Amino acid sequence: MFLAKLALKNLTRHKRRVLITASIIALGMAMFLIYDSIQTGLNELSFANIINLETGHIQVVDKEYWEQREKLPLKNLIAQSENLSSVIKEIPYFKAATPQLKFSANLNNGIDQLPVLACGIDSMTYSQVFTTKDYIIEGSMFNQGKQETILGKKLANLMDLKVGDYLTLIFKTKTNTFNTIDLKITGLLQTNNPKINENLVYLPLSLAQQSLNLEGKITGMTIRLKEDGVAQQVSEDLNQSLASLDNKLAAHSWRASAGEVIAMSKAETAEKLTIMSLILLMAAVGIVNTIILSSLERTKEIGMMKALGLKENEIIFIFMVEAMGIGLIGAILGSLLGSLVILYFNLYGINLTALLGGVGDWGLPVMGRLYGYWNLSAFIFVIAFGVIISLLSSILPARWVARKDPIEAMYGIHN
Amino acid sequence: MSRFKILLVTLLTSLVLLSNLAFAMTAEEIMNQVDEYHHLKSAKVESEMIITKGNRKLVKKMSSLIKGSKLGMTEFTNPRDRGSKFLKRGDDLWMFFPDAEDIVKISGHMLEQGMMGSDFSYKDMMESAKLTDLYDFKILGEKEYQGRSCYLIEGIKKEGKDASYYRRVDWVDKERYVPLKEELYAQSGRLLKIMETKKVDKIDGRWFATHQVIDNKLKRGTETEYRVNSIEFDADIPDNSFSLRNLRR
Repeated sequence: MFLAKLALKNLTRHKRRVLITASIIALGMAMFLIYDSIQTGLNELSFANIINLETGHIQVVDKEYWEQREKLPLKNLIAQSENLSSVIKEIPYFKAATPQLKFSANLNNGIDQLPVLACGIDSMTYSQVFTTKDYIIEGSMFNQGKQETILGKKLANLMDLKVGDYLTLIFKTKTNTFNTIDLKITGLLQTNNPKINENLVYLPLSLAQQSLNLEGKITGMTIRLKEDGVAQQVSEDLNQSLASLDNKLAAHSWRASAGEVIAMSKAETAEKLTIMSLILLMAAVGIVNTIILSSLERTKEIGMMKALGLKENEIIFIFMVEAMGIGLIGAILGSLLGSLVILYFNLYGINLTALLGGVGDWGLPVMGRLYGYWNLSAFIFVIAFGVIISLLSSILPARWVARKDPIEAMYGIHN
Repeated sequence: MSRFKILLVTLLTSLVLLSNLAFAMTAEEIMNQVDEYHHLKSAKVESEMIITKGNRKLVKKMSSLIKGSKLGMTEFTNPRDRGSKFLKRGDDLWMFFPDAEDIVKISGHMLEQGMMGSDFSYKDMMESAKLTDLYDFKILGEKEYQGRSCYLIEGIKKEGKDASYYRRVDWVDKERYVPLKEELYAQSGRLLKIMETKKVDKIDGRWFATHQVIDNKLKRGTETEYRVNSIEFDADIPDNSFSLRNLRR
């Protein structure tokens, strides 16, 4: 106890030095915490964007279609049926389900054309599954059964189109024959998902089916659950009940479509760990430096203590406690600093759209306002690591000091 | 006298009927003849494509080898695209760009895009089936076009067949069996493209369109002209000219 008290007293002897070392650690810790918070926020935002705007929680499609889905084939579609709907409604946490028919088309404004992804939707059930409707910034959703459309504002700007204008979709039917649909624009979207803003044209499902000569056919059913975390489990259950209905059908949770984003967030975790280790290295150098300096100053004192009967281990202990103290001060300061910044991000967020000037394609489907996340485990992690690294890096210099011969130390001979 | 009259009338009517029977071709026969003239068993073609986009004009010169409807190799010879090549083998299309030194297979939706920025899609280039296999033709009437009398023939896609255009209307020169004008429609009835033949030449005993203009009705201010500068029918081309190895060379 006496030794610990002595160590703590030593901490207050050189306040400025302790503070400088601690603040280096604090800065590193704060950087890590802020980085972690933003990255978690970014992941949450992109996951939410995928679920709310692209995939829902679970998609039911044909197995062969799933393999080819990037190519948007018009083969291996599924039939809209009562049986399927009732099987889907049986699943736990069920909230809503909606049919979709996706196909590739060229968007034509009479002057130019651009390849787009066209999506036939049932506007009633669609807004129960997706939040797309909330992002209509001009006009309104189209009426089912009319030749109307909504699309991303960015895409519309690019093609010089506005609400009330007509556009033409040119595409090939199942038998590779050109067909066109003229659609009146009733609304423009600005979502948090750049893919949708730049690439998607929505139209009534029945119209899409009719023009593609695919009556009663859909690409798949998209399901919304009442809770976020259960999609994986529920989709496995659903797969079992689908097997008895039609063994060609398969359910996929949103994670299967978000592979890219998940892989990216994994890469970011690796990045985060690299940054963390650099910060810790910095902290370790600071600690070693502080311990060596204070031991050099105190060689005479140490010699005296040894002469009075203090053991080597006890001297090492004193220095270790001192180092731990510096680490703890640093970690606490860092957490405070980090908390302040995270608090700001958490309350006010960062407007990514403004930040990126709308260019924003980082490969992640993110746009809109990014909010920092509180990650308690990250705080515990940095404090624990700060203390442990300080402790470990103090051992060697402390041993070096403690091993000095007391007489030489008292005479002030350094070697 | 009246007897003679009756005889004359009978003779004349039967003559008209007979001549109709002897000379009137069905729409299908006409289109078969068109296909016959258009189809190249094997040929070496030097041609050029003039692409107009607003104020810009691009000229692409090409030298092509064609064998039947399945094999084709085209090399661009104008300075800007020199060395770029296309190879068609059956339903596959490959491209080679000398700058990238790489072979790219064109598939899926890429096939719908305009070839080298023209109004011809890659798919147009690939279509090789006989028109009469894909469409049910019927004669709508006869019309003058460019001072020549033409059959006006309408083709509607046969149920279940893979054809790009749902409906096509052809002005087929009655003597030369070359379409002088062609309108291509989507299933919705929308006019997509108009092709006009500006010049027809008789080469080695067959009539061949050597200057055509394609107008894409969905894009304003673009037009593609196609001119055949020289053509050698029934050229002797070995099959191995159409290999991927040759594409890279």
